[in-house]
Amino acid sequence: MSGTVAPGAGGNVVIVGGGLAGFTTAQDLRKHGFDGRVTIVDPEGIPYDRPPLSKEYLDGSLPAAKLSFVPDDWYRDNAVELITDRVVALNPDEGLLELGGGRTVSAATTVLALGGRPRTLPIPGGDLPGLLTLRTKDDADRLRDLLVPGLRLAIIGAGLIGAEVAATAVKDGATVTLIDPVPVPLVPLVGAELAVRLHAMHAAHGVDVRCAMTTGISLAGEEYTVTLNDGSSVVADAVLVAVGIVPETNLAEAAGLATDQGIIVDPTQRTTHPGVYAAGDVARIRLADGTLIRRHEHWESAMNAGRTVAAAIAGVPLPAHGASWMWSDRYGVHVESVGDLVNGTPIVRSVDGVPVAAFRMEADGRMIGAATIDGGTAVRAARRIIDRGLVIDPLKLADPSIELKKLAR
Amino acid sequence: MSTQIEPIKVADVGDIEDEEALVVDGAANGTGRDIAVFFSDGQYYALDDTCTHEEASLADGWIEGEEVECPIHSARFSLCTGAALCLPASIPARTHKVELRGDEIWLHPGVPVEGAVTEVTA
Repeated sequence: MSGTVAPGAGGNVVIVGGGLAGFTTAQDLRKHGFDGRVTIVDPEGIPYDRPPLSKEYLDGSLPAAKLSFVPDDWYRDNAVELITDRVVALNPDEGLLELGGGRTVSAATTVLALGGRPRTLPIPGGDLPGLLTLRTKDDADRLRDLLVPGLRLAIIGAGLIGAEVAATAVKDGATVTLIDPVPVPLVPLVGAELAVRLHAMHAAHGVDVRCAMTTGISLAGEEYTVTLNDGSSVVADAVLVAVGIVPETNLAEAAGLATDQGIIVDPTQRTTHPGVYAAGDVARIRLADGTLIRRHEHWESAMNAGRTVAAAIAGVPLPAHGASWMWSDRYGVHVESVGDLVNGTPIVRSVDGVPVAAFRMEADGRMIGAATIDGGTAVRAARRIIDRGLVIDPLKLADPSIELKKLAR
Repeated sequence: MSTQIEPIKVADVGDIEDEEALVVDGAANGTGRDIAVFFSDGQYYALDDTCTHEEASLADGWIEGEEVECPIHSARFSLCTGAALCLPASIPARTHKVELRGDEIWLHPGVPVEGAVTEVTA
């Protein structure tokens, strides 16, 4: 059946993608009193949160119902329509979206919050149909069904997803091999000191860690063989490929929007078409001087982008976002980082010789980045220190007896 | 008819530093759930201590003004109303009435508060 959904009287917004950025856009539009029609189109139906997919949801301790951002009746109460379908074409000049089911939806404003799809390995066997990825609830369900004690799981990629799944799978009794060509992953995210400590946790928990490039994957019967460039190989019952995502730009490209490893947006998240915004993992900000900012793929940056879009559409002042923040959980520890852990001078805070926090400082004494393991409110304090441009005595930063919270005031 | 839980004295004024909190054990307060009593900008507040998003102690969170931010995933709650102010939490935290009796801080476990915070008895 086909038909056209007419725009609401107050102008209407159609959000393509119900991830965090898409959902936040809808939520904040209503918070700002936007009274036009708001629709979220997503093939997965009710929007849900993804961080638990590699952790509590994967190990079964968090039920599916708790993945939802809000109780189901929120959508009715806030007049946010959900369409379970895929947008297959966008005509931004006419404000028309064509859905996979044949329906056409009109939109005064479109928000593309399409996220990304798991990157595949360009190697022989990299396209085997049985290879696992982890991006959606369905992916997590598939992996969870396989996660029985004794499962031999090979994970290619020791970044956030790979590391978190390794920790979860080992806890569930799987035999895990974790493969990455980088000796210590996540250094750019948390700094070298904490990254070394985190990576060492894999081996300490019985994960077979291989530092190598994966050169091929083959399947014989029900057994995979992953070959590595160091001449070794890994035999596994299941293989998870966790080597990042590719932003889902196809729809935007076909619609004539500018893309460059992401949908190009201005600082208000508006694309090169005035009626179309993009937010979340898929969007890449170009500053007024032409500088292209690296895409962020973290939870909070997606939420913040949705907040910006909603404010821009509703015509209220754009929210200020502080230094970017992320977290990860594995082997019972909680990792957080904020700001820039690449540049500046490192200061490490250790307890009994074990690094618990790392800071990055500019020459003028300002903090630009911080990371902690089980740091409680330390990263929140660091964020305020960074955002307010406070100058902190490096000796105090390195002293674990001084609460960072006290230094942030 | 539900059983009325008696108010309990939890501390003296001055025991809780500014932007700090203390946790009243669920067994001790009679509700079965830990309650955090916060002191911020001269006001006392009480919420269920556990973040409604995931198990973490709000008393260990970042307390500033009339808000507390969970130490794990940065969900924020209103200390006045318990409202979840940002994702990942969307379910409010339960509030409990706090009363000052002279220099004593008394908690009324299970008695919700809307907007108002500390009640001072003459």
